[in-house]
Amino acid sequence: MNRMIQSSAFTLAFVYVAVAIAALILFAAPLWYAWQVTIQDGRVELLQADAQRLTEVFRRDGPDGLKAFIDTRVGLQIAGERILLLTDPSLRPLAGNVPAWPEGMPVTPGMSTIAMDLAGQSTEAVLVRASLPGGYHLLVGRDVARFLPLERRFWYGLAGAVSVLCIVGALGGFLIRRTLLSRIDSIRRTVHAIMQGDLSHRLPGPQSGDELDTLSHTINRMLDQIEQLFHGIRDVSNAIAHDLRTPLAELRSRLEELSLTRPSTHETFAEIDAAVADVDRVIRIFNALLRLAEIDSGMRRSGFVPVNAAELAVQAVELYVPAAELKGISLTCRDTGPIPVSGDPLLLAQAVSNLIDNALKYASDGGKVTVEVQRSAQGAVEIAVADDGPGISDSEKIKAPERFYRGDTSRGTPGVGLGLSLVAAVAKLHGGALVLADNHPGLRAQMLIEPNAERPWRQDTPSGLSAAPAAVDGLELARVGTFAAIKSQPLSR
Amino acid sequence: MKLLLVEDNERVSQFVIKGLKEAGHTADHADNGRDGMFLAASEPYDVIIMDRMLPGQIDGLAIIEALRKAGNRTPILILSALSDVDERIRGLKSGGDDYLTKPFAFGELLARLDVLARRAHGNSTETTLDVGDLRMDLLSRKAVRGERVITLQPREFKLLEYLMRHAEQVVTRTMLLENVWDYHFDPQTNVVDVHISKLRQKIDTERELPLLRTVRNAGYMLSASVENNG
Repeated sequence: MNRMIQSSAFTLAFVYVAVAIAALILFAAPLWYAWQVTIQDGRVELLQADAQRLTEVFRRDGPDGLKAFIDTRVGLQIAGERILLLTDPSLRPLAGNVPAWPEGMPVTPGMSTIAMDLAGQSTEAVLVRASLPGGYHLLVGRDVARFLPLERRFWYGLAGAVSVLCIVGALGGFLIRRTLLSRIDSIRRTVHAIMQGDLSHRLPGPQSGDELDTLSHTINRMLDQIEQLFHGIRDVSNAIAHDLRTPLAELRSRLEELSLTRPSTHETFAEIDAAVADVDRVIRIFNALLRLAEIDSGMRRSGFVPVNAAELAVQAVELYVPAAELKGISLTCRDTGPIPVSGDPLLLAQAVSNLIDNALKYASDGGKVTVEVQRSAQGAVEIAVADDGPGISDSEKIKAPERFYRGDTSRGTPGVGLGLSLVAAVAKLHGGALVLADNHPGLRAQMLIEPNAERPWRQDTPSGLSAAPAAVDGLELARVGTFAAIKSQPLSR
Repeated sequence: MKLLLVEDNERVSQFVIKGLKEAGHTADHADNGRDGMFLAASEPYDVIIMDRMLPGQIDGLAIIEALRKAGNRTPILILSALSDVDERIRGLKSGGDDYLTKPFAFGELLARLDVLARRAHGNSTETTLDVGDLRMDLLSRKAVRGERVITLQPREFKLLEYLMRHAEQVVTRTMLLENVWDYHFDPQTNVVDVHISKLRQKIDTERELPLLRTVRNAGYMLSASVENNG
């Protein structure tokens, strides 16, 4: 991994430098071209103006006047860059600083660039020819080779710039590599420590707010989540251990006692029946856990169909009315007319049943339990089950939906402590939450669901749910996916 | 009844076959998919009990699909440890007639097998149901016991109808929940028992022969025969 980062940092620096050089060349090329064109055009113009002036002198003063003028100019000229030549019609030189009409130079008027010898040095010159009256020829030129050093300097400059670029690029690559490596290394070390089992490690906090900081921040948030899940799993495994061990311990002692004491047939059968009941209890807990895992995995979302929440509640109430009557509790459902939601009818029915079951358990004798389905102000659909029992304290309201949580008042009542967890999970699956409120007196359990919860719950906000109070919600969020781990165990096979 | 059990777990197989024999049925057993496929295709059975995950390259659902494709309509009960609702739906979609999750109570299995076997022979076009002197008119939705008219709530009517359609058969609480209420989960308290006892008060008065009986460790049975009256 280390080598990969190294090589990738080098490649990065190399590519940067290569791109910069290419950019420099692409930048210099038009500049070079523009320079060339401008100089050439200026030069030609100058030469033509010169030729024009000399022609005028010729016209005014005749060949001898021009000859004298040229001699004066040649004599004045310090630098030999200007080429001047006046010849007679047979190309014999009359005046100027060139000994003879250059070879290969056409006689017709115009401009051309040729190689020629000048004061013993071979060089390149731009020449403008003009035909004068009387067949005389005039040659005005300029030695281009004088600009070659300038050109050369330009190329040297470019080469220098490229080398500076290379050096700075390599240095930059090295520095980038070092910074990047050190920070990636710190991430790697942290992750490694976490892999060793210490979940409390976190990446260093924001330094410059760049991409790596964003990455660190994301990783830290992921670690928070993992840690929460991890603790959730630990809590749940403790709870499972406790709640499953108790019936298993009972079962074991029952069977062992049976095997040791070998009582009468009648008694034996009674014990065996009790043992089967113990096993059924364990199976029931397993089933509840598997169902929770199923819900937590979010897979049931695919089974969402339009459901009439009001009718669903009425049916659940109908199922429980005889059981309520037996306890002398009046169980009623307020008829509100159809309330369509998108959801899983099976899970919603089970959740409502659990709420009613729970309410019946705690309602006072001869008391009443009411079920209401209504649209809340925030647009969510609320299925509320209210009893007039002792209610629960505020701290318990947060703990109650936790898995295996059983309130002090519920000791001795049947149940495995997963009923409200299931309701909370179902509500969450439907984009809502379970809210426990006071009914003055008693408990009012409200299952809030999003009427159109087909889309997955929003993941941008940490709390994820819209209509839920943070306390209850955050608590549930901590356990998302907890049971997916349990589910993948051979248990379900 | 002649049954076929396709199940690879030896212990479960022994338990089921012994129980079936005690209940007076004969049962063949295959412990892998290949043998199960062969037996199911070549012998006539009343009901096939099919495990889902089997050794031998072919799993339970594939066997069921192959049988159905070949036109075999033998009722099939799927016995599986896969309990998810989606898995259950997959099982029933592949051509299974009922789905029972492991671990299961033998009484539950037996009751479901009975229902499946009779469903294959029975017809559902009748308009009246009779059990002893209890008569139900499905068109006018009325029930009478002898001369006495029994007034029933809609759900009670459905409950009694189910019991009468499966008279002389054990029906379990789960079967009632699934078929009468369409609830495929286990309510924590015995709500079904309360419904049954309410129904019992309506159809069995003190002077009459009790028809609705509780079968220990299994469920309920609506029966008019005297020898079943234990």
